[in-house]
Amino acid sequence: MQTSKQNWAECRLPSPLDRPSLKAHRRPNILAERKAQHEYWRRPSFFLLPQSNPASAGCCFNSNSDPRTKEKGKRRERVREREKRGKKQPRRSPLSHRLRTQIRMTGSMDLPAKGGFSYDLCRRNDFLEKKGLKVPGFLKTGTTIVGLVFQDGVVLGADTRATEGPIVADKNCEKIHFMAPNIYCCGAGTAADTEAVTDMVSSQLQLHRYATGRESRVVTALTLLKSHLFKYQGHVSAALVLGGVDVTGPHLHTVYPHGSTDTLPFATMGSGSLAAMSVFESQYKEGLTREEGIQLVSDAIRAGIFNDLGSGSNVDVCVITKGKTEYLRNHELPNPRTYVSSKGYSFTKGQTEVLSTKITKITQLKQKVEVAEGGDAMEE
Amino acid sequence: MGDSQYSFSLTTFSPSGKLVQIEHALTAVGSGQTSLGIKGSIRANPLPPLCFLPYLIPFTVSTFSSSINCTILAANGVVIATEKKLPSILVDETSVQKIQALTPNIGVVYSGMGPDFRVLVRKSRKQAQQYYRLYKEHIPVTQLVRETAAVMQEFTQSGGVRPFGVSLLIAGYDDNGPQLYQVDPSGSYFSWKASAMGKNVSNAKTFLEKRYTEDMELDDAIHTAILTLKEGYEGQISSNNIEIGIIRADREFKYVIQTQFYSHFYHPVIQSGIAL
Repeated sequence: MQTSKQNWAECRLPSPLDRPSLKAHRRPNILAERKAQHEYWRRPSFFLLPQSNPASAGCCFNSNSDPRTKEKGKRRERVREREKRGKKQPRRSPLSHRLRTQIRMTGSMDLPAKGGFSYDLCRRNDFLEKKGLKVPGFLKTGTTIVGLVFQDGVVLGADTRATEGPIVADKNCEKIHFMAPNIYCCGAGTAADTEAVTDMVSSQLQLHRYATGRESRVVTALTLLKSHLFKYQGHVSAALVLGGVDVTGPHLHTVYPHGSTDTLPFATMGSGSLAAMSVFESQYKEGLTREEGIQLVSDAIRAGIFNDLGSGSNVDVCVITKGKTEYLRNHELPNPRTYVSSKGYSFTKGQTEVLSTKITKITQLKQKVEVAEGGDAMEE
Repeated sequence: MGDSQYSFSLTTFSPSGKLVQIEHALTAVGSGQTSLGIKGSIRANPLPPLCFLPYLIPFTVSTFSSSINCTILAANGVVIATEKKLPSILVDETSVQKIQALTPNIGVVYSGMGPDFRVLVRKSRKQAQQYYRLYKEHIPVTQLVRETAAVMQEFTQSGGVRPFGVSLLIAGYDDNGPQLYQVDPSGSYFSWKASAMGKNVSNAKTFLEKRYTEDMELDDAIHTAILTLKEGYEGQISSNNIEIGIIRADREFKYVIQTQFYSHFYHPVIQSGIAL
């Protein structure tokens, strides 16, 4: 049966109305019956059955709770009765067998052998949307990441706040990831996705460097990233700013979760991108020096930190030039924590109310253990 | 030989308990170009000596003659060397690189079949990367040796494949100091202080036994390696005919390109071999 391996959109279930049954004269309502049967197996509640057993989570059909199975059990009894009476069983037409098999096979979804997006559930999802089921929304993840090209190379910048909804999960996380000694990548979106994707591509670049014996190029990293993200159709939620200097010069790219890329002289991504972009658009010019570049990047990130809720804490900067890379972790700390004394809390005696007192004497254990010499207690 | 009827299938033991295909693989290794390695003792001075500074000054070229691969563990590192005899003078020797780096701190040299070596290098590099991605730690030398040996053993116990016709000398420097391992086609590996493989292996080993000392310095080790290679080489040795790789306490695998030296006073010029 090739059905489950083909693209679901191309698959067309043969309608029972296509071919008239040979025994139509015996059961005059055979067409209506078949139609009803078809409607039954494709009924909407079919797909919304609660899955009690997680092992059968991929399966839409639960034979234990399905009333039709009980009917089938009755049918078996009927068949046995007929056999006892010595009557011949009616031969099943091949069409109904095919229909039966297809129905059975739609019950258990086949996973694709290779990676990539599986289209098996698209039809079901479309159906559910038509019925009014709301698709779960996306969690806005907050970040401000920027990059710009200056006269000697590339400067990348990022804030250091990682959020879980309205909560700050990490006040000083690292968003500038290593790809190659001459290529770094800032990541916005789901932290796990950006980490995993950049680690994976960094590993691939290392192997490529060994194979070719050359320094990695920014376009290589770019192509590896975009083809991976495209393969996953935007479900790997990683928006990246990739920058580096190679033999062909300095390069800066942005990569979007669906796999599209831009090549720009300055770029911003994340929820604070508009705040940062306003700084770039007003102050960027070609031929910036290193100090000017770092200052502009810090200004842009600070704009994101102070004007966007999803970004905050400190500014990380990474300067990449030909032959040298400098990762300035926590280059600026515009949000210092003003603490009370480092001694911590101090409670004077008598401030805590004593409810009850119980004194237990600790006795020393004085039991001695004798070690017996020899003996055959433990034979090797 | 009674073994002959068991010699065609790898996965069948002979009555004497040998896997004859592996013996044949070792013969293939033994007819390959010689390679050797020397490891220095960890007791000796771990800092590179100040006499490295004059190495920046070039001297006139001298020629070695040595066609053995040897690896030597020096006091503060490991040296691996091999002869690079090309089938014809028309071959572009810059395209042939017999010593390869597996990670920034582990290098490898071989004796035997070149194509098999390429496959093993590719697999080992990938395994080192996978180890790094899983544990976020650079792979220790023993782990990489074990995984490479496991690959080589796999090919002695599967259907339809033949064993690799190479023996590898893996040299590395990690937290346990300088290390040198030899991996055979059967998948067994040994740690050596100094070893040689390939043609002329017995002469080379005898020479190494005589010349090897526990607290050898790295430049002495390089010199010893070249002399050992010189022993078995027919013809003139020059920087085009041999390859030398070293790894020192800085844990970076590098190639030694000797452009110039005096025959009695050796100054290697060290170049970082991999653009990483």
